[in-house]
Amino acid sequence: MKKRIMALLMAGVMVCSMAACGQKAGNEGDSKDGAPKKADSISVTTTFAGEDGNAKNYKDACKAFTEKTGIAIKDSSATSDKTFKSRVATDFETGSEPDVLFFFTGADASSFIEQDKVVPLDEIREKYPDYAGNMDDGKLPGNLVNDKNYVVPVNGYWEGLFCNKAVLDKAGVAVPGADYTWDQFLQDCEKIKKAGYTPIAASLGEIPHYWWEYSIFNNTTLATHTQIPASVTEGNGPAWVQGMEDIKALYEAGYFPKNTVSAKDSETFAMFTEDKAAFLIDGSWKVGGIIAACQSDPEDAATLDQKKLDKFTVTYVPAKADSDRKATDLIGGISSGYYITRKAWDDDAKREAAVEFVKFMTTDEMVGKFAQHSATALKEAPKVENVASLQTIAIEMTSKTTSFTDAAQDVFNGDCRVSTFDGMANIVTGKVSAKDAVAEGLKAYAEQQK
Amino acid sequence: MGANVYKNKKPVFFFLIPAFLFMAVFLYYPFIKNIINSFQVIPGLGSPSKGFNDPWYANYQRMLTDEAMHTALKNTLIMMLVTIFGQVGIALVLALLVDNISKGAQFFRTVYFFPIVISATALGLMFNLIFLYDKGMVNQLLEMMGKTTLTDWKDPAHALVIMMLPVMWQYVGFYFVILITGLNNISQELYEVAAIDGASKIQRIIYITLPLLRNVICTCVVLAVTGALKVFDFPWVMFPKGMPLGQTWLTGTYMYYQVFNTRNIGYSSAIAVLIVILGILTSKIVNAVFKEVDY
Repeated sequence: MKKRIMALLMAGVMVCSMAACGQKAGNEGDSKDGAPKKADSISVTTTFAGEDGNAKNYKDACKAFTEKTGIAIKDSSATSDKTFKSRVATDFETGSEPDVLFFFTGADASSFIEQDKVVPLDEIREKYPDYAGNMDDGKLPGNLVNDKNYVVPVNGYWEGLFCNKAVLDKAGVAVPGADYTWDQFLQDCEKIKKAGYTPIAASLGEIPHYWWEYSIFNNTTLATHTQIPASVTEGNGPAWVQGMEDIKALYEAGYFPKNTVSAKDSETFAMFTEDKAAFLIDGSWKVGGIIAACQSDPEDAATLDQKKLDKFTVTYVPAKADSDRKATDLIGGISSGYYITRKAWDDDAKREAAVEFVKFMTTDEMVGKFAQHSATALKEAPKVENVASLQTIAIEMTSKTTSFTDAAQDVFNGDCRVSTFDGMANIVTGKVSAKDAVAEGLKAYAEQQK
Repeated sequence: MGANVYKNKKPVFFFLIPAFLFMAVFLYYPFIKNIINSFQVIPGLGSPSKGFNDPWYANYQRMLTDEAMHTALKNTLIMMLVTIFGQVGIALVLALLVDNISKGAQFFRTVYFFPIVISATALGLMFNLIFLYDKGMVNQLLEMMGKTTLTDWKDPAHALVIMMLPVMWQYVGFYFVILITGLNNISQELYEVAAIDGASKIQRIIYITLPLLRNVICTCVVLAVTGALKVFDFPWVMFPKGMPLGQTWLTGTYMYYQVFNTRNIGYSSAIAVLIVILGILTSKIVNAVFKEVDY
């Protein structure tokens, strides 16, 4: 009896093993003519999910790709936040990275680039000479590890000053232009406050990132902005401290929401869209968020309330009179794109499918659809059609932007951010001095670099 | 064969091994690995270690000077008291009341237990809306009653209470069900005898119910206290990153923050070890205070 059971068990295991082998052969083996056969599916991870303005474009593109090629997409995209970035890093460390990854090129990518877990464009082009052939190589984003290019980008980003014109009108303030100065901004904030509105929609307790970046940018120079100072007295150190002091001054003047240290970002954003706050500094991705807020169904563009959307515009961020930066010098650039992982590259079948997928997602037409109002690395500017009014304004604004500078916070990442990002509420309320907070962050950064 | 089949214990081990392996892989190995990690420098989740700290106990040393950690420990201690008195205490009162009614007992059991089955994240979002500064339910009600200014219920003055209120509310039903099951196990004859002897209802509770419920209460308190060390979802949804001004940190939320926000895996591992040590210590203390008694 025992022998029979054992024989049955072994037969079962053998059948399962053979089935598994058969599937592998079907998926990844060579075709009859000797050429590598494309995989039936590839795994892809992107940031096109949740409230990202391109989430729907991405879903549609994946569907079109599968219909065209028969290759299924195993999608594990998620909203880009710290949890997502940790997940990507862990996937690489544990060998479970996707075949194609749409991700950032800054400090977050350094670990897997250092470990050669993604393939540089040069290497891909040796086998596929037309790969990313429609891109201007000079515009492709670099990385912090070496001089190679790894990603094929579809869209860039910028950070600008969104304005609620309804609030500005009621406060008797004109929409800021290209020569907007910090002093004018302070005067406007005072007028808006006196009119009974909140001048700036921002959650300093949760997302002070945009104010952190521009306040420092207003005190550094275009050339040196991304240099992390060694201490509060060296290099950009004094500029960083002054930047924090500038935010504190705005807080003390009462220009942020009363609950700015306890409110979530979603709450202060709602103040902006509900005509209670006038200004909002945010990224190009917020254009989609504002449009969605003007639709009765955020998923359905047909439900857009055009009258409501017309209340919003986007413009340049005020610059200090003595600053190297002009209002038209914005934070922005291209800092993300499609990577092909080494794991997929070393597998003939996956390689073919991954290359085909990235090519499909980065055609001129597709890039135009994804980039819309942001910068691209295409050789020829994409034609942008059927865009909402706010997107047209954004395109107009970026066309007159005098420069785009990378964000310093893309380099200043991890534990070092705690004292000035999560600790921003402590700085503005005077619990910690700006100088001490910056010093603590720089010390943590120096520790990280060891 | 005969009776010898019952003496052969080998098959028992065969059936115990899968569960043991599961525990070893998913609990004991990670736990031991976590203790080792707590002495190391690990720059990110899944990243290889950069080696041991210098001194090797640096992560534990940091806890002594880390203000946020002190706040987390203080708040967790308060949370323990809230769970003992707020959750178990209220559950006990409700259980005694429901035990005294003949009609509708099942209705109240369902009503009080219901919050347990709802996701804590969903409840967190709901309470977020209730205590919202602008257009929140509480502020709207106060406005209807004539209040002219808005109250920020999530400001430093109110945050801790607002964070603990929903946690307390959600788990009352859990302890209520345990306690009412304990009450059902008490023989009715004891109450009848006491009633014949002239004992009032209050006296019956003090001299019969509470002593006989002691072991059940003890279990509830141990569960509540150790549970307080792990509270995470509600506070994180309502007060992410210890907002406002780092006043709402709990050991659970601070450990998560160190993993996913600052990527300091070594330090977060040390916090995890501390949570386990505190869990063991507090449950020992509770067991000593509420020593189980056999009647």
